[in-house]
Amino acid sequence: MAVTVTPLRRPAGRRRLGAARLLALAVLLVVGVVYAFPIYWLLITSLKSKGELFGATPTFFPGTVTFEPFFSIFGPRNFGALLVNSVVVCGAATLLALVLGFAITYPITRLAVSRRLRVNVLNWALSLRFLPPIAVVVPYFGVVRFLGLYDQPLALILVYTLFSLPFAIWMLKGFLSEIPLEVEEAAYVDGASRWQAFRSVLLPLATPGVLAAGIIIFAFAWSEFLFAFILTATPRGQTFPVGVQGLVTQFEIIWNDMAAAGVVAIAVPLALMLAARRYVMAGLTFGVIREK
Amino acid sequence: MTRSRWLALLAVAALVATACQPGGTGGKPSKLTIAAVQGNESIGLKALAPDYEKKTGIKLEIVESPYDQLYEKLVNSFKANDATFDLVMMDDPWMPKFGTDGSLQELGQFGITRDPDIAPVIYDVGTWPPPRGAAPPSEKGKPQQLLGITIVGNVQMFMYRSDMSEAPKTYDDVLANAKKFNQPGKMAGYAIRGKAGNPIVADFLPILWSFGGDVFDENWKVVFDSPDSVAAIKFLVEDLKAVGQASPDTSDAADRARLMAIGEAYQSSVWPGEVAGIVGDPAVSKVIGKVGFIPIPAGKSGKGFGMMGNWLLGIPKGSKNGQAAADFIKWMTEKETQKTYAEKGGIPSRTSILTDPALNEKNPYFKPLADSLQVPPNWRPRTDQWNAVENILGTELNAALAGQKTAEAAAKAAADQIRTLMTGAGYPSQ
Amino acid sequence: MSGPAEQALSAPAPRGWGGRRASLTAQERLAYRLLLPVLGVVVVVVTVPFLMAVVQSLEARGGGFAGLDNYVRALSSGALYAALMATAVYAAIVLPAQVLLGLGLALLVHRTIPSTAIRAALYVLAIVPLVIPPVAVGVIARLIYAPDYGALNHVLISLGLIREEIQWLSSPAAAMLSVASVDIWQWTPFVYLVAYAGLQTVPQETVEAAQVDGASGWQQFRHIELAYLRPLLVLIVFFRVADVLRVFDHVFILTGGGPGSTTQFLSLHLYRIGFKFSDLGQAAALAVLVMLFMSILYTLVTRLLPLERD
Repeated sequence: MAVTVTPLRRPAGRRRLGAARLLALAVLLVVGVVYAFPIYWLLITSLKSKGELFGATPTFFPGTVTFEPFFSIFGPRNFGALLVNSVVVCGAATLLALVLGFAITYPITRLAVSRRLRVNVLNWALSLRFLPPIAVVVPYFGVVRFLGLYDQPLALILVYTLFSLPFAIWMLKGFLSEIPLEVEEAAYVDGASRWQAFRSVLLPLATPGVLAAGIIIFAFAWSEFLFAFILTATPRGQTFPVGVQGLVTQFEIIWNDMAAAGVVAIAVPLALMLAARRYVMAGLTFGVIREK
Repeated sequence: MTRSRWLALLAVAALVATACQPGGTGGKPSKLTIAAVQGNESIGLKALAPDYEKKTGIKLEIVESPYDQLYEKLVNSFKANDATFDLVMMDDPWMPKFGTDGSLQELGQFGITRDPDIAPVIYDVGTWPPPRGAAPPSEKGKPQQLLGITIVGNVQMFMYRSDMSEAPKTYDDVLANAKKFNQPGKMAGYAIRGKAGNPIVADFLPILWSFGGDVFDENWKVVFDSPDSVAAIKFLVEDLKAVGQASPDTSDAADRARLMAIGEAYQSSVWPGEVAGIVGDPAVSKVIGKVGFIPIPAGKSGKGFGMMGNWLLGIPKGSKNGQAAADFIKWMTEKETQKTYAEKGGIPSRTSILTDPALNEKNPYFKPLADSLQVPPNWRPRTDQWNAVENILGTELNAALAGQKTAEAAAKAAADQIRTLMTGAGYPSQ
Repeated sequence: MSGPAEQALSAPAPRGWGGRRASLTAQERLAYRLLLPVLGVVVVVVTVPFLMAVVQSLEARGGGFAGLDNYVRALSSGALYAALMATAVYAAIVLPAQVLLGLGLALLVHRTIPSTAIRAALYVLAIVPLVIPPVAVGVIARLIYAPDYGALNHVLISLGLIREEIQWLSSPAAAMLSVASVDIWQWTPFVYLVAYAGLQTVPQETVEAAQVDGASGWQQFRHIELAYLRPLLVLIVFFRVADVLRVFDHVFILTGGGPGSTTQFLSLHLYRIGFKFSDLGQAAALAVLVMLFMSILYTLVTRLLPLERD
């Protein structure tokens, strides 16, 4: 955990708290079941045979476990290529969003600019998030065609970068403003240039935060579908969610392959989010709350 | 220095970009890119691709999209006169849109002609403007061109449990059998495909036509609120619903096929393209050999009208490999190929293949399909507004099926919206 | 406004180099040099589609100037108002539920669950819904809510809670709630994670001081934690409002907009006009209207709520 928390202890109310904790655990158990059940259902659906899936009554444990759907999606369906595209697109967009995010947040957190400029930039970043994708996707399609980027991962990288900027800016701003200006000042006294101070002092200090921001941006870009679908045509540019959508056919939803693809789709960002859990939690406060 | 380096980089980039343009006019391309629909309709095509590559050295890159998305993808790609695809799979109701927009290359110029072993309707459906029935006002006087060749001969048919009763001849029989075999919770007398949008419309149109109703008359006048049409709607949302499965308004094709396959439905309409997936799949189906396939039963009009849902192959205007693409189409419709195609799970269009006894043993719906094609079946109204019309119908019919509206109210609401839409698009609809 | 939240809001002002006028302008110059290229590109990238949409919205079907015809057609369609109504109802169910549940859970865990193991498990459960492709969410939801083979009815029946299957997707009210429940399931964790992360930053001394003064749990929440969390919650509501207008995939798979047009939300309406009706003029007009509406909403929200203001 980013911050260690001592549970509240009220000298007089220990027993009351015990009862409350029991109640809380009960509530959490219910919530846990509500959340775990669909995920469990997804998992067992990916392991069931087609005959069982179409059976008269749904079964709560797979009768015979089969890994066929996983072989199917990575074999004949060639989802591996889409997975690679997804990683490349989301990874590159994340990097780009972070670089641009730095270009925007560095001035407003490290330089003596007017408060108005700072507030305006932050508000403007937020307003980007209000751009409704369904309204801009068609014009973007035109632009992408015009630039010759149709069906190329680069088109998606640029679009995802744009839509990731609000998160990138707000999270970076949060992390950067936590680092005291004095650390850079010390570097200046030692004769460092602004760039040197940025690279050798600020950046290392900001790394955990940048990592967290990156992972959160990556995870949110990961499941994007609309742009990925409209701006691509072939497995050359398509991402994983587009492939997953493809399992909903005119006459049937291919349940087990779909579930297997869902499991795979969850695995990648979940692993990242788990690895960086403590930083992610800090990133999610978007720098809005600071205790100093 | 840095600036000139940038310029050099730019120049290289430009060169690379030009080099990457789909190049070459004429000549033999190394590959053809085909936009296909995802699902059973493209199984045969995918199975044939390696054969073609072996034979000609031309690689076939098959790019699959789900049904709805394929249409959008094609519209977008045609609008941009894009060279991504050399061949595209199209559902036949899309023909008017692509025909009107002039998105496809004429096939006659590449030497594709009618074959007597293939039902005439298969060429008619790929011809624009349509050789019979109403054509959009903007298309009057245009020369007829062959723009697409059917590779999945798909006509909506009817399936019933042949182990439980005789084949229904009329919709009266359908209803009588449904009442007889309906056991709520155990067996649905009739499985309705009623999900909002395309599904319910596909399920309903054969009933509408067989009852003597229609969406338009031959002059584009909207007749969806005529007494015959309303009677057909009532038949679906009152009579059949009473003997249908629970919550039919949320059921899509797979849901009703599943009910048939596990023996919980007595009868339903069916597309040949969905038979192989569920009802005919030994891993799922408990009713193999117990399901009869027949053309759509007759309604109050005295006739039964199947509905075409043929999948066609066409060549986009933007493709630079017209001749090579046409050669592939020709090869696809050759008798030998069609046979292999059918054996590998494709739905052939050649009459001699559809009536082949050996193939019918494995695919009991081939013969009825050949019969349905000879009738010939109806196609959906030939207007580039069909998708919009279908959407309106799909919303209103679904509301009626869910019990939110009466049949009359739904018919009137749909007819009014369609009138507004069609007059707005320049049709003489009243 | 006063209290800790305000202090929290004022991110550390640039200090340390004040006083020397020349260096200050040099810094400002550097700031603009860094900001302007990026902002410029982004502004172009954002403005271009808007302008393209405006141009297209004034174009007639066969080309040529259409005046406001497309707007008239868009605004005179009954389906638009049905879609707006449906979206409003959806938002009214989904947003409060997500914020209250997410915040409630965060408080619950923060105050009563010291176990790191449980907290970690909750973190995992909360992350998963956020990273599943939306279409997969729709598919699980269909497997759970569908008639006949849906898991939910079977669970409820085997627990003896209901006797007959409930048709979750067929009546307008049930369909709306089912569709909304999926959104709530998917996005409450986001609110939970953010609120929980926020609660970790509330200074312990302040809380303890309040407890010494005899503040009740509610007062502690109301006056301390909520005050700290408020700007964060505003931000979250912001994100969620913007997201509600994009809801699409799970609705499409669960109900296809039905029954009738009950769940035909604004995004589905736009999709229908643009891609099903291929009425690009009207779709562009709607897009322009939506963008204008969003910017008005955005302006109002930023004015009304104290988020990084002077």
